[in-house]
Amino acid sequence: MKFGKTIAAATVAALMSTSAMAADIAVIAGSIEDGFFNLIKKGVDDATLVVEANGGTVNYLRTQNYDNFGPDLVTLINQAVAQGVDGIAIPVWVPEAQVPALQAAAKKGITIMMYNSGQQVKEEVKGVNYFGSDEFVAGVAGGEYMAKAGAKKILCHIQVPGAINLETRCNGVKEGAEKNGAEVVVLRVPANLDGDITGTAEAIKSELVGDQSIDAVITLAAWASDAATNAVAQIGAVDRVRVGTFDMNPAVLDRIAKGTQTMAIDQQPYLQGFLATSMLAAHLDFGTELATDPVLTGPAIVDGSNVETAIAGVKLGAR
Amino acid sequence: MTDRTPVLEMRSVDKSFGPIDVLHEISLKVHEGEVLCLLGDNGAGKSTLIKTLSGVHQPTRGEMLMDGKPVHFARPKDAQELGIATVHQFGGTYPLMSIGRNFFVGAEPTRGIWPFKVFDRKKANAIAVKSVQDFGITRITDGDRLVGGLSGGERQSLAIARAVYFGARVLILDEPTAALGVKQAAHVLRIVNEAKKRGLAVIFITHQVMHAMAVGDHFAVLIRGAVAADFRKGEKTREQIADLMAGGESMADLEASIEGYMETHEGHPPPAAE
Amino acid sequence: MTDSSIASTSRPAGSAASSSGFSLGGLFRRPEVGAFMGMVLVFIFFSYFGYDRNFLTPFGTSSWVNAASTVGIIAIPIGFLMIAGELDISIGAVVPAAKMSIAIACGFYGLPIPVGLAITFAIAAFIGWVNGMLVTRTNVPSLIVTLATLFAVSGLTLFLSLLLTDTTSQALTSPAWAKTLFGDYHFWGFQSSVFWWIGLAALLYFLLHVSPWGNWIFALGGDQESARNAGIPTDRLKIALFILASLTAALSGVCETVLSNSATTTTNFALIFNTIIAVVVGGVLLTGGFGTVAGVFFGTATLAIVQQGIGYTPFDRNLSSLIIGVMLLIAVLMNDTFRNMATSISSGKKK
Repeated sequence: MKFGKTIAAATVAALMSTSAMAADIAVIAGSIEDGFFNLIKKGVDDATLVVEANGGTVNYLRTQNYDNFGPDLVTLINQAVAQGVDGIAIPVWVPEAQVPALQAAAKKGITIMMYNSGQQVKEEVKGVNYFGSDEFVAGVAGGEYMAKAGAKKILCHIQVPGAINLETRCNGVKEGAEKNGAEVVVLRVPANLDGDITGTAEAIKSELVGDQSIDAVITLAAWASDAATNAVAQIGAVDRVRVGTFDMNPAVLDRIAKGTQTMAIDQQPYLQGFLATSMLAAHLDFGTELATDPVLTGPAIVDGSNVETAIAGVKLGAR
Repeated sequence: MTDRTPVLEMRSVDKSFGPIDVLHEISLKVHEGEVLCLLGDNGAGKSTLIKTLSGVHQPTRGEMLMDGKPVHFARPKDAQELGIATVHQFGGTYPLMSIGRNFFVGAEPTRGIWPFKVFDRKKANAIAVKSVQDFGITRITDGDRLVGGLSGGERQSLAIARAVYFGARVLILDEPTAALGVKQAAHVLRIVNEAKKRGLAVIFITHQVMHAMAVGDHFAVLIRGAVAADFRKGEKTREQIADLMAGGESMADLEASIEGYMETHEGHPPPAAE
Repeated sequence: MTDSSIASTSRPAGSAASSSGFSLGGLFRRPEVGAFMGMVLVFIFFSYFGYDRNFLTPFGTSSWVNAASTVGIIAIPIGFLMIAGELDISIGAVVPAAKMSIAIACGFYGLPIPVGLAITFAIAAFIGWVNGMLVTRTNVPSLIVTLATLFAVSGLTLFLSLLLTDTTSQALTSPAWAKTLFGDYHFWGFQSSVFWWIGLAALLYFLLHVSPWGNWIFALGGDQESARNAGIPTDRLKIALFILASLTAALSGVCETVLSNSATTTTNFALIFNTIIAVVVGGVLLTGGFGTVAGVFFGTATLAIVQQGIGYTPFDRNLSSLIIGVMLLIAVLMNDTFRNMATSISSGKKK
């Protein structure tokens, strides 16, 4: 058995699996087409070094796309269970589908660790901890920031309608904005536009053209702010309409430095991936548990005042 | 022999599509056990004529009779039910289906009761192979072979055998030898003769005079939608028929003028200025 | 002469043993064997690289079999349509429409499941009927017609969902009997949809290869004009096939909704690709007139093995898509080789 395994390892130029005594973990994430999860992956990869040093394995599983998200996530959970893992690190985006599957996994003795989304169902799935942003709190921070910066009507764009973390963000934006004297209108676009910069830009542009009183846009993904700033530039309203976003990418920080984008709300996905993986392994191997529960990795607001340090982190693929 | 009632007859049939007159005063008769060859160059109206005979089009004027009684075909199915079968140039067969399945498309033999009817493959294959072999094609022995693997001539033969099996009384063959080589064409002509021997009336449409003369008993030449000539076998020579088809101009004259041109201009077209 | 040897070496789809007894050579020349060999190849590949992660265990098997079933239920009727010379890409919207129908009817309005099922299948049948009517009554190619219905149904699903429930996703709790029938795990984690898939495959095998109507479908795809002239009701047959495709799309959606207790309005574009890949890998000709149910069955399994098996391997996850692409290409090449063998040898060599 070991001989065969060694041969397999030698022929594969990637991460290898060894003995079955230490922690075998599955980390489940979102669509392979979504750049956000590359940041999570960097955290997971860095933590994997530690896990493997202690004799464990990490299997990083992602869905193909968001077209059939709930059932696809259940498929990945079942796959992890079939593979006989000791623990699963997973966000919960579609509770009705994922919770029963995770409960079934927990019944089989698999330890669940949560990250990125689904804080409210942590007890139901017996999650050890949650590493992520509180979506609602982050939304409130975003809405508050924009309103205090002078916005009166904020457009909140949702790229995957129904995804619980995204809906919660906009709900938070609403509360934060309304408390500070601004109103919020939500734009839900068809999920097939997810990742489609041109399509999303046009959708946002039509809203801006149709309602000239909108003076701020908040998007829920970094690429979506690429589309939003594009839309704003198209109608020549850079001075009139502010753009803010959740999550960051190099282009976002560039724009903040230049002044064409106002802010980004960072949930620090690197930390989510890194901590979820390493803490789960540590819990399985050594029985440790953090006293802080949940552990909030965000929101951290990046704007003109602190963009330089953020840019350094993006260059390393960690922010 | 010619006093018998024709199986199929057209009397002064005109066919127009809107303002365009395609067929003019067509009168034709075809009897059992006879082959009527319809000759005509491209554009003479042959395909419209076949479609009118087989019920795809309806005559604008004039009438059609079967066994002396007037008939009216509203759709191809009406003509088929009365025994008029058309075989098109490419056989009307399905290359990716087996011989047995091809033979019985639309009329599959079955076992069992509805809705659990089972296509009786063995029976279909047996009948199909036997029918084709009765016509003299002995090379086909396996009803499961795909029709696409047969030669053009064999496919035509299959289509004709099928028509005969399903009780056709009139067989309309649309340019059956046009796409075939010499040997295969001979095959098909043999089968036409066999069909004739079995008492079918055959309407054989072609523009190849040699093939027509090999099987025809009765000839009609179609020029620009009208019957330009109507004669029985032996009344005209090959050159005369070819001349008729070319529209009256002698084939020899045509050949001569082309040769003359080639000599003086060495084959090159005249320069524009001249 | 050599007639019997020709007979035993030239057996294409749908044939049994020759009179000389069971012929292994004859078996190998059946076109669906290509799809089978492609499946075996990818299965061996992932069994080897996924061994440590339990790919070969019953639970590991149910992993890909489950994924195969949700696509497979729809793929066979899509294969029928392709054999008949048409395409149906509206299924990408019919599935979420069906999902939302049952979820809203039973989850939001609390209607009993049988009522929800009746509503869902009625809606699906209607969409299929519209597809069929548009394709047969107009000259518009079915790709364009079903593209239009894809967007129309997608938009309607979103609009009606927001109108009736104010949200784009819906939860559904089902009674135990519905769970067992449509959405539960049996034996070693096999979903209910797996049993529907196998049953449907058997039924549709009978329809295409054993019943006389299957002959009509092949004729329709081979040469529509000739088929019509032979007396086959081509228009009605096409409409029936489109309705069948939509109904199976609804069945797949219902099974998934009951299993995952949720539905969203998202159009499943990936499903369109997956069904077409499954059908083509299964040996159905894109140009129509040829295909087998077994082939589509194996093609679906091949696709599922490749897409799910990747999660059992130790390869860098960033290479996943590349590996999936390469494996599918190899599977299709294997398939083509076998099909060419089948049809060329059946055309016979003169002795």
